[in-house]
Amino acid sequence: MKLAALFVALTLATRVAAQEPRLERLDSAARAPVAALIDSARVTGLPAEPLIQRALEGTTKGAPAGRVVAAVRRLAADLGRAREALGLSTAPLELEAGAAALRAGASPAVLTQLRRARHQPLMVPLAVLADLVASGVPPDSAAAAVLVLAGSVRDADLVEFRRAVERDIALGASPAGAATGVARDAALGVTDLNSSARTGSARPRRP
Amino acid sequence: MFDRIVAHLREPVRIDPALDERVMAEIAALRAPAPALLRRFLPLAGLAAAAAVLAVVFVARPRAPTIRELQFVLVAPQAATVSLVGDFNDWDAARTPMRPLRSDGPVWSAVVPLAPGRYHYAFLVNGSRWLADPAAPTASDDGFGTPSSVVTVSGT
Repeated sequence: MKLAALFVALTLATRVAAQEPRLERLDSAARAPVAALIDSARVTGLPAEPLIQRALEGTTKGAPAGRVVAAVRRLAADLGRAREALGLSTAPLELEAGAAALRAGASPAVLTQLRRARHQPLMVPLAVLADLVASGVPPDSAAAAVLVLAGSVRDADLVEFRRAVERDIALGASPAGAATGVARDAALGVTDLNSSARTGSARPRRP
Repeated sequence: MFDRIVAHLREPVRIDPALDERVMAEIAALRAPAPALLRRFLPLAGLAAAAAVLAVVFVARPRAPTIRELQFVLVAPQAATVSLVGDFNDWDAARTPMRPLRSDGPVWSAVVPLAPGRYHYAFLVNGSRWLADPAAPTASDDGFGTPSSVVTVSGT
């Protein structure tokens, strides 16, 4: 029985590897388990591209096969949790940003609240949430700030909000205080997030 | 009894001689020219139908994603080579070499067109040293032992 299961897993993995030539770059010990994870994601309707990229990142950086497989498995689980929180019809880009927000420490309930609060694509709010937490803002403060703004501002304004918080942190503000302060000022209209977001030029912009 | 039924069946069916005229009259009525008001607006109705078809064709047509050009910059005075490596080039260190803004200058740059999405990336200096972008948010640790950054490209 175990042999049959192993045979099926190897067959599936070989089939996925044949469909996805980029996996040939993976260490031979990582290729089959990663291919199986990607196949399983495809079967359940989760996006495969983020998983492929994570595997390629680990491989290019010379990570051991076990770490590459663990990272891909963790991302697949996060994508699944993000879909549970955001809904079955969630777009792949939103799922990827949702997975990043969950990995950063946001709760699934926050993702669900964001879905209810914003009737536009959620990729940017979720990405801003993940980035704020990565900047040191506590997950609860970051979630509260993004939720306050998400219902009323544009994507570009949310990106500008993140930059403003990072500027304040660099100038010495506490991460939680910076996020709360900028969000409060923006919500009250004290700070016009639009002003800098509208000054974009045709030149390539920085991340 | 049997003979009577047979006789009844053999009796020719009587058709109203005016039936043909009535049917032809109804057909002629259907083909009659539209009233003057209807005739006046008929071309407009045609135009409206054409506009509706065009609207459906153009609105329903999938739009190409907005591609934005992003400039990635790294200050690396001691570097001989710098590569930009990330989700946008399949983590292939050979695909996006960075160039010094001035010859022998310390500022390295690359411009990459990106579709909307969230991308992990890092700089590879001299083919062996991984650096995150100091100007961008840090990516969550994947246990690979080296830092990465993230960039989010909005679709709006």
